[in-house]
Amino acid sequence: MKPPRFEYLRPDSVGAAVALLNEHGEGARILAGGQSLIPMMNFRIAQPSHLIDITRVPGLDAITDEGNAITIGAAVRQSTVEYSPVVKDRCPLLVEALKWVAHEPIRHRGTVCGSLAHADPHSELAATSLALNATFTVVGASGERQVPAVDFFIGPFTTVIESGEMLSSVSFPVVPAGSGYAIDEFSRTHGNFAIAGGVSVIQLGADGKVASATLSMFGMASRAFRAFAAEERLIGSMPTAEAIAEAADLALVDVDCSADMHGSEEYRAHLGRVYAGRVLTSAVARAQGGSK
Amino acid sequence: MGLGGMNKLNWIGRSLPRVEDKKFLMGRGGYIDDMDLHGMLHVAVLRSPFAHAIIKGMDTSAAEALPGVVAVITGKQAAELCDWMPDFNPEPNLHKWRVLADEKVRYVGEGVAVVVAESRYIAEDGRDLIEVDYEPLAPVPSARKAQEAGAALLHDGMESNVAHDSTLAFGDVDGEFERAAHIVREHVYWGRTAAQPMETAGSVASYNPGNGMLTIHANSVALTNFSFLVAGTLKIDSNKLDLVPMPAGGSFGSKFWATRATVTAGMCSKFLGRPVKYVEDRLDHALSCDHHGSEREYDIEMAISADGEFRALRLVCTDDYGAYFQFGLGTHGNAMSQVIGPYDIKAISYRAVGVLTNKCQQGAYRGFGSEVHNFALERLVDKAAIELGVDALELRRKNFITPDKFPHKIPGGNVYDSGNYEAVLQEALKDARLDYWRAEQAKAREEGRYVGIGIVTQQERSVYAANEWWFFRGAEGVSSVPESVSLHVDALGKVSVTMYSTAFWGNSPETVAAQVLGEELGVNPDEVSFAYQGTNKGLPGSGPGGSRFTVMITGAVQGASAKIRDKAIKIAAHMLEVAEGDLEYVNGGVQVKGDPSQRKSLAEIAIMPRLFKHQLPDDITSGFDADMVYDHPYTTLPTADRSDLGIFYPMMAHATHIAVVEVDVETGGVKFLDYIAVHDCGTVVNPRSLDGQVIGGLAQGVGQALYEEFVYDDEGQIQSSSWLDYLIPSAMEIPEVRLGHHETPSPFTPYGMKGGGEGGRMHAPAAIASAVDDALKPLGATRATHLPLTPERIISMVNGH
Repeated sequence: MKPPRFEYLRPDSVGAAVALLNEHGEGARILAGGQSLIPMMNFRIAQPSHLIDITRVPGLDAITDEGNAITIGAAVRQSTVEYSPVVKDRCPLLVEALKWVAHEPIRHRGTVCGSLAHADPHSELAATSLALNATFTVVGASGERQVPAVDFFIGPFTTVIESGEMLSSVSFPVVPAGSGYAIDEFSRTHGNFAIAGGVSVIQLGADGKVASATLSMFGMASRAFRAFAAEERLIGSMPTAEAIAEAADLALVDVDCSADMHGSEEYRAHLGRVYAGRVLTSAVARAQGGSK
Repeated sequence: MGLGGMNKLNWIGRSLPRVEDKKFLMGRGGYIDDMDLHGMLHVAVLRSPFAHAIIKGMDTSAAEALPGVVAVITGKQAAELCDWMPDFNPEPNLHKWRVLADEKVRYVGEGVAVVVAESRYIAEDGRDLIEVDYEPLAPVPSARKAQEAGAALLHDGMESNVAHDSTLAFGDVDGEFERAAHIVREHVYWGRTAAQPMETAGSVASYNPGNGMLTIHANSVALTNFSFLVAGTLKIDSNKLDLVPMPAGGSFGSKFWATRATVTAGMCSKFLGRPVKYVEDRLDHALSCDHHGSEREYDIEMAISADGEFRALRLVCTDDYGAYFQFGLGTHGNAMSQVIGPYDIKAISYRAVGVLTNKCQQGAYRGFGSEVHNFALERLVDKAAIELGVDALELRRKNFITPDKFPHKIPGGNVYDSGNYEAVLQEALKDARLDYWRAEQAKAREEGRYVGIGIVTQQERSVYAANEWWFFRGAEGVSSVPESVSLHVDALGKVSVTMYSTAFWGNSPETVAAQVLGEELGVNPDEVSFAYQGTNKGLPGSGPGGSRFTVMITGAVQGASAKIRDKAIKIAAHMLEVAEGDLEYVNGGVQVKGDPSQRKSLAEIAIMPRLFKHQLPDDITSGFDADMVYDHPYTTLPTADRSDLGIFYPMMAHATHIAVVEVDVETGGVKFLDYIAVHDCGTVVNPRSLDGQVIGGLAQGVGQALYEEFVYDDEGQIQSSSWLDYLIPSAMEIPEVRLGHHETPSPFTPYGMKGGGEGGRMHAPAAIASAVDDALKPLGATRATHLPLTPERIISMVNGH
């Protein structure tokens, strides 16, 4: 379990990192926290020729309060976000999501952007970015582009980031006052990958009806995904137990659930509906309670 | 010697901090991977991607051309360098195995070549460059499929994949079943797991072509009286092999004795004349460690009388053994030692079917087969209570072997030395707050939550003896399982201990020896020093395993101490000018009986035989050392007709475990609400370290019951070769255990000790399964008989499947 030989590079700007990516081509990979990449290298599943370490690029380690969003640079460690007072105040769902990510020592090294760029189908952060409509800033040789979360994840370990590009930051919209949010998941052991999980953000109108709703699911298919049919079922309705149950039943419409030794497709589909129901119920309860 | 007549103990029974801890906590324990010899090379093993295939050819030229690669040894070359691997099964010629497969691979991960290089990195680079031409064969992925007509054969010399099928029966089994008022039957499956020590198996071998000595440092040196077998495999004279023990970062059976890693490093070093290190990485360890644990199916039934008396037990156990039959049916001999559990069952029939499959071979894992039997038996007893409509606890009590019946000879021949099962149960119940939990259970059910309580009463045989291998074989078996120490008292009276196997497996051999020396020689346990000696020049040591080390090392220390005391009295008699008979050894010195003012301390005495030969009587030789080879305190030979298989595992510990769980019937998840474990391991040497043993074993029992499994698919591909999928419970999954110890001394061991090293794993699975059943009872769920109880399996039980 030793990686093959690779070159280690440490640029001092995003521009320089992108230049190195383009110089070394397909074999070059960005190294941030390394919590997924390095084990994959040890198993020789990933065999990069060049590792471009961005963790010391000035400015990439910043958490910025943009007013309506929190922007997290590509070198910001998960634990830094987890314990950031600004994030706790403005985007507490992100803090709750991070509590589910692996184990504390891993969060001390792992980065939020690295996890998102890795695009593991089990990723809590991917699902949270979907539920919050986060925006990804992707930088390449010809400049930067903004990608909404719904367009960012393509499949297992695959995003819209092209060869020669890197994710430089992600912006999470702040959780609007008066909305309710929840994340929950089922994994066989603490800190392990979720077999199924959901994230939801719900706003209620003055009439008590659902004004807006997002529901995203993770751990169950080839990528984290938005459950639009479930959202549509709720929007404009009173969030009764029946409505939530019906929405939960719609959470997996047209989804091909994955299967492995920890759960068959049927079991994952069952769990997905259970967790869709659980997070919708919690989010609604918090919205009704006036929780942020 | 029992406790009767003993003086009050000063050290045994105290929770002293472990002597071993400091060096390991400071990173100065000297683990095998910390060892670095000048010019040392490193090994990577190329492993088969196929479960079953012929090796048609191999191209190693690219690997050999890689700078830094010193040699590539293929399976074919290894077959010339080494003989067959040591094997303890009764028919070794039918299914031999090699350190590397030469003609055929029989499981995913079996080694086919090694690359020896300047670093492990380069060795792994070289490994990627080897090309192997495999001709895949039909895989044999399970014991059931292995027995189907037309199944591919793993070993050409065999008529089927069944390596063994025989029955041991004692007592009137058929008669009891004919007369039985009730017959209860259960089918049980125990999933394949393996010990996962933090440190894997490893060896550093160093061959000296000048004198022909091959020295191998290894973290799995045990059974030193069998080291000649390893020498035979390495084609070296048995007196030219020195296996030197290193501390092990956990074993739990996985480092039972030095085989794959040791032979791999030894072969490479002997071939190249340079030091060579091979330490398994986690993937090596998962795929092809020395052995996985048991994977078994049971059809088990009990004959019960009209008034609820257990009369006879009959079982068929099918063992999905893996590719080789290295330990034969030793794991069933082991189960035979406690085949009736704590119950007074009169007759037993035990059919063991050993089936070869395309998986890593089976061997030792904390319990060595008797933990599986415990699970099957307790599941059967729970079912009996349901079918008889009686309280499960009362049914157990009714059938307990009562304290007046010890020593108790069981069907088969083994003896249970002592026990008080009711007292252990009482102690557990006293702490369990069952009334509270029953009320909580009722309340939870009203809320649609499912809480369950499981109670099991089980045996824990201890102090392994070789006689367990006699079962299921006709020929006479080996009967020696000694453990040795040497004591050295220096000129200042300071005591050093030498041990002769990888005594440290994560257990506390030095702490035990130090505490016993505190009693025997009156020295301060903190002041004792320890060393380990290799097999060459070494006294025999069987090592830990089968919960034997505490008792065995105590016997050895006690015997050696007696020799030291005798010499001390002899010398003191001269110094004090008093007859030897008027002296006694008390509190670290020799004094005139009844007159503490006339006394010589051990330090005052010790300098004499070290420095003053001519100031002592002529018959006192110089030196102040004592060796002791301690044999197992209580085993007997079988009768010639094998109607009685003899006494082989008589130190019978016992435990009650009570698990309280809540099952989420929507997800299948299980969480612990409470856990009580009361053990009776005879006299406790160090309660704190015994607590650690019980909790550690219990954690492995939780893993077995709920999380861990080496899953092989229909193609024989392993699905859980990393800890991403092979789920080891962490502190977050392990209950906060409330522990108790009851002490029923053994009449046959020093101080009345019994072993306690495997306890938790022997008991937790049945307690957890019982609790899950109790939780799901109102839902009409099927029973928890198939481990691990994965969440999906629990959902399917709830759905009645």
